Amino acid sequence: MSHRDGIAIMLLNAPRKNVVRLARAGAVFLVAALVICAAATPSLSEGGLAPHLSTNPGPANTLGGQSSADYWRQIRQGQSFTLVNPQMGPPVLVQSEGQDWRIFRNETIKRYGGYLILAMLAATILFAALRGRVRIEGGRSGRTIPRFSQTERTIHWFVAAVFIMLGVSGLVLLFGRTILVPVIGKTAHGALASAMLQGHNLLGPLFIIGILAMAVVYFKDNLPRSADIAWFFKGGPLFKWHVPSWKYNAGEKIWFWSAVIGGIALSGSGILMEFPWLAQNLQQLQLATIVHGIAATIVIGFAVGHIYLGTIGVEGALEGMTQGQVDENWAQEHHHLWADAASDGPSAASETAPAE
Amino acid sequence: MSLIWFVEQPLWYLSATVFVVGVLWRLFALVALGKKEDLSVARGSAGGGAVRAVLLHFIPHGGFFSKTFFHFLAGYAFHLGLFVLLLFAAPHVTFIDERILGVGWTPLPRWAFILTAEIAFAGLIFLWARRISDPVQRQISDADDHAGTWLTFIAMLTGCLALQESNDALRIIHMLSVEVWLIYFPFSRLMHAFTWVLSRGNMGAVFGRRGVTP
Repeated sequence: MSHRDGIAIMLLNAPRKNVVRLARAGAVFLVAALVICAAATPSLSEGGLAPHLSTNPGPANTLGGQSSADYWRQIRQGQSFTLVNPQMGPPVLVQSEGQDWRIFRNETIKRYGGYLILAMLAATILFAALRGRVRIEGGRSGRTIPRFSQTERTIHWFVAAVFIMLGVSGLVLLFGRTILVPVIGKTAHGALASAMLQGHNLLGPLFIIGILAMAVVYFKDNLPRSADIAWFFKGGPLFKWHVPSWKYNAGEKIWFWSAVIGGIALSGSGILMEFPWLAQNLQQLQLATIVHGIAATIVIGFAVGHIYLGTIGVEGALEGMTQGQVDENWAQEHHHLWADAASDGPSAASETAPAE
Repeated sequence: MSLIWFVEQPLWYLSATVFVVGVLWRLFALVALGKKEDLSVARGSAGGGAVRAVLLHFIPHGGFFSKTFFHFLAGYAFHLGLFVLLLFAAPHVTFIDERILGVGWTPLPRWAFILTAEIAFAGLIFLWARRISDPVQRQISDADDHAGTWLTFIAMLTGCLALQESNDALRIIHMLSVEVWLIYFPFSRLMHAFTWVLSRGNMGAVFGRRGVTP
C-alpha cells in the first residue's frame, strides 16, 4: 500500500441565506455527481469501456513446498540488501514496524478518530437540544459595532472553503473503505477515492497559505487573558448567563489555537506525504500519516462545534463574518469587555439599520 | 447508447453549438444596438481612444488601487490561470487536437499544470470569499453572479478530480459540468469574457473623441 493511500482531513461549514442556498446547490451537484459516478461506472464496465477484472487464477504453488519460517524470520530481523536509490537509508526487505504502522493507521486512528468526530457531533446536538438557540436576550438594538475587518472575513472564508473541500475529501480517503464501499461498491468507491485524492493533493497547498495568513491576522486577539480563566470557571456557554470576555472568549481561543496548531501539523505532515523525497527515512513518512490522521480528526471534531455556534447556534454571530458588523446588544452580551472598549474607541460603533 | 457516448458526442456538439451561436448572437446584438451620432467637433481619435482604453486598463491607475490590490491580484491569478489550463492542460490539448482543430501544441508539464491550477483556484476562491463577505459586493451580486462562479468552479474542480485519467465516470462528470457551463455562458455575465473589449473600447472611444486619455 502506498503511503499516500491514507491521506486524511476535515470539515464542514455553512453560512446563511444566499450562501446557504448556494451551499445547498453545491451539495446537490456533488450528490448528483456521486450518483452518476456510482451509476455510470458499472454500466461502463458492462459496456466494455472499462477493463474487466482478470479471472486468471495466477501462478500456482506460491507458498512453496516447504516451511519458510527460518527464511522469513531472517528477513523480519532486518536482513538488508542493496537498492539503486539509497536516499531512504539502509534498505530493508521487510520493515516489520511497517505492520505496526499500518494497523495503527488503518485501525486505531480510524476507530478513535471516527469516535471523536461522532462524539463532537453528538455533543453539539446535545447542546442544541438542551440550550436551544442562544438568542440576543435584549433583542436587537439597531446599532452595530464593527467586529471583523474585510481582510479577516476574506481570509476566514478562504480557509473555510478550502477546509471544507479538504475535509470532505480527507474523510472519504480515511473512512471511505469502511463506510462507502458497502453502500456504493468498490468500483464507484475506487473512482471517488481517486477523485478525492487528486483534489486533496491539489488544494492542500492553498490551505497552508490560508492557515498561516489566518494565524497572523487573528493572532493578537487570541492571546490568553485573565478573563479567560473566569470564563471557564463560570461554565462558558453551558449556562444561561453570559460571562464577560474580550473579542474572543476562551472557547473561541481554544478553537483558534487548535486550528492553527492542528493546521500546522496537517501542513507539515501533508507536505511530507505529497513530496516524499523530502523525508529522510521511511519512519518519517509513517509518522507523517499518523500525525495527519490524528490532527485531521481533532480539527474536524472542533470544527463541528464551531460551525454550529457560528451559524445557527448563536443568534447574531454569523453576521459578524458576513457583514463585518454585529449588533451592539449581541456584543454586550457575548463580549462585554471588548464591546465596551470598541464603543469607547473613535467611530467604533455606527448607527445603522437593524441587522437582519 | 452509453452515457459516455451521449456526453461526448451529441451533448458535446449541442452545448458547443449553443455556446458559439449564443456568443455570436449576443455580440451581434450589442454591436447592432449602435450609438447616437456624436455631433460635437472631435478633439481626438475615437479609434485611438478605444485601443488605448483596452490596453491601458489592464493595469489599474489611481482610484482605490491600494485597497483593491489583493482583489486585483486574485482576478489576474484566476483569469490567467483559467486560460492557461484551458489551452495548455495536456488532456485539453489532446481534445482540441482530436475533436476541434485537428492540430495540437506542446502541453504544460504536469508540475506546471498543478501549479497553475492552484493559482487559479486560489484566485477564484479568494474572489468568492470577498463576494460573500464584502457588504457592497454582496449587495450588487445576484444569482447570476453566484451561478457563474459556482459553475466555473465546478468545471475546474471536476477537471482536476479527473486528473488521474483512470476512470471514465470522472471524465463524464467533468464533460457534463463543462457542457452545462457552455450552455449557461451566453445567457449570463460569463459573457464578460467577450464583452469586456466592447465595453472598455466603447468608453475609450467616447473619451478619445473628446481628447481625453481614458
